[in-house]
Amino acid sequence: MIAVLGLVVGVIVGLVVQPGIPTALVPYLPIAIVAALDAVFGGIRAMLDGIFDDKVFVVSFLSNVVVAGLIVFLGDQLGVGSQLSTGVVVVLGIRIFSNAAAIRRHLFRA
Amino acid sequence: MSKDEDRAEPVAEPPASEPGTPPGGVARDSAAADAAAPGDARDADAAEAGVDGTAAESLSGRQRLLAAIWPPRLNRAQLLVAVLLFSLGLGLAIQVRSTSTSDSQLRGARQEDLVRILDEVDARQQRLQSERQQLQQSLTTLQNSSQQAKEAQIQTLTKEQQLGVLAGTVGATGPGIELTITDPAGKVQADMLLNTLEELRAAGAEAVQINDVRVVANTWFADAGTGMVTVGGTQVSQPYRFTVIGNSHDLDTALNIPGGVVQTVDKDQATATVTEKSSVAVTALIPLTSTDYAHSAQP
Repeated sequence: MIAVLGLVVGVIVGLVVQPGIPTALVPYLPIAIVAALDAVFGGIRAMLDGIFDDKVFVVSFLSNVVVAGLIVFLGDQLGVGSQLSTGVVVVLGIRIFSNAAAIRRHLFRA
Repeated sequence: MSKDEDRAEPVAEPPASEPGTPPGGVARDSAAADAAAPGDARDADAAEAGVDGTAAESLSGRQRLLAAIWPPRLNRAQLLVAVLLFSLGLGLAIQVRSTSTSDSQLRGARQEDLVRILDEVDARQQRLQSERQQLQQSLTTLQNSSQQAKEAQIQTLTKEQQLGVLAGTVGATGPGIELTITDPAGKVQADMLLNTLEELRAAGAEAVQINDVRVVANTWFADAGTGMVTVGGTQVSQPYRFTVIGNSHDLDTALNIPGGVVQTVDKDQATATVTEKSSVAVTALIPLTSTDYAHSAQP
């Protein structure tokens, strides 16, 4: 419950305050968000499986974000940034979909 | 939404899945999670060692979700996850806001995209610059031509004035002399006046008027009786007043040379007086007539 409240408060604060972010981080923010979403879906699924652990969630959340950012950064340095970020988004999207399918099976038994 | 999930289903699990098999489904899901993501596999590891390991078998997923959501528990784990989700929500809101505002189309663009856009803008700017240069050139050309036209008009006007003075269609003023030939005896004839005119022209007279008759190239003289001369069809009686524009000194000298006009007139018992003036006006005009047969050879 507190976690859901945290998400809602984050969205509201982001919409109301509109904080600026450093321009150096601008290209990484979308990828980081997708990676974090992947971690969140994985966490929900683990919770439904009854194997949720907050330490694992925190580590996977942060590592997802960092690794996604690193991959995009590396791609930018190599000159294939857009292709690599597309690939990251595709992989993360597949994982999100598979996690969502597991969640759906838990909740709706279908 | 359901369509997307269906599309993703083959990726998540083998196609031979059938609904409504809780224990097998759960086991297979965790296996799939192991295969899909190492992080999730560690989830499973942690769960084996964790506190919820025994309860996982007895509760369904829905019940566990309800239990997690209500009642709200305030502990370290919840706070940590809340902080992470807060940052996620914040980033989500920022990104959505920055992509939805119209002016920040470039904000999320990649470096090569920006370079391409910059190139396009540069090329466009160059194109516009060259267009501007072309337009400027044509503007200059037009201005030049209009200036030339104006110049030509001014020259034409000046020429018209000069030719008008020569042809007698416009009045003229300038320095010159006035020559008055008083001839009470009526001895001065047309040839005398013609000689006088020739003398004046030789001395550089530019516009000549005798009494009220303008003298031009085709003016003719004829005797009309005692003390009268026909000048260009108009009878003129003595005294004959020549109004002449030209270099007054030259004209005066030309008339007063020995054997010149003044002496000749004196011989005929008439008197000729020359007055130099700084400004005389030739006001008599000849009506402008267009030629019937002769046309200008110049285009």
